[in-house]
Amino acid sequence: MSRKLLLVDDAPIIRLKLKNILQAQNYEVVGEANNGVEAIEKYKELKPDLVTMDIVMPEKDGIEALGDILKIDSNAKVVMVTAIDQRDSLMKAIQLGAVDYIIKPFEDERVIEAINKAAG
Amino acid sequence: MSETTRLDKMIQLVAEQAIEKSSQVLSKLLKQGAKIELKQVSLMDIALVTEKMNEEDKEVVAAFIGLEGDAPFKFLFSVGMADALQITDLFLGQETGTTIAFDDMTASAVQEVGNILSSAISNVFSQDFQVEMKPTPPEVIQDYLGTLFQQFIMDLAMESDQILIIESKFKIVRSELDCYMYLLPLAGSTEALGMATGMK
Repeated sequence: MSRKLLLVDDAPIIRLKLKNILQAQNYEVVGEANNGVEAIEKYKELKPDLVTMDIVMPEKDGIEALGDILKIDSNAKVVMVTAIDQRDSLMKAIQLGAVDYIIKPFEDERVIEAINKAAG
Repeated sequence: MSETTRLDKMIQLVAEQAIEKSSQVLSKLLKQGAKIELKQVSLMDIALVTEKMNEEDKEVVAAFIGLEGDAPFKFLFSVGMADALQITDLFLGQETGTTIAFDDMTASAVQEVGNILSSAISNVFSQDFQVEMKPTPPEVIQDYLGTLFQQFIMDLAMESDQILIIESKFKIVRSELDCYMYLLPLAGSTEALGMATGMK
């Protein structure tokens, strides 16, 4: 059975790239969100197995959304996706409970590795 | 060398390092050899710059991003309409000419290139100069260059009649794309950079 994914990023082109990479690996993209607020709503509605989460987004950033999702489901598996190679933001996300991170621009192999690892 | 000249030189040094880093990031992003050339770093009269931009009368797509933190800057990445379509194809790994009209994906490609370039710049500030910077979410606008530029300098025009412009040109593989990056230091940023580098 394929794993259900929720893709969260304010750039549709990044969601499309992630979708193309992960669908080819037999993951099912069940939803997409444009910001942290939408991410939380869709997480509650779709109950995905995995989430990819951008950090810099309008309305609610990825770190806040990660914290809120983990309050709803402490077993949520969230992989952070960020262009900011800044250790403090990523450290904060990992401390909060993110399972891995991907730095943009990314290689397909790195995305597959991080998602497979998160999927267990 | 006067203090102002030394600070301008220092900002030129930061810009060169940031542009070098941005070239590497852009090459990786587009999976093509990309080179960003620094065209000029100069302190210019706002009225003259605005007049020059208005004369160009060209429709562009641009990403506005704020770099917030110890030394605040405003960042603008702009690209001509035809080249924005080509960037979309490069970004998606499609044959050039596949994207024929401006759409959400084109806006998103420009947004993401701007986002990744501004992040590369903020990394240079934080890693090489210990000046902490964080980019804001990008805002993408399609308009005439002069109109966009006026919006870009709006806050600064109230504080000063001069602006520091860091202008660059992008070359991607054999194509010379009409893309530009502008970095405008806001109040206090040159002083913060001067302190960080021990020049002030």
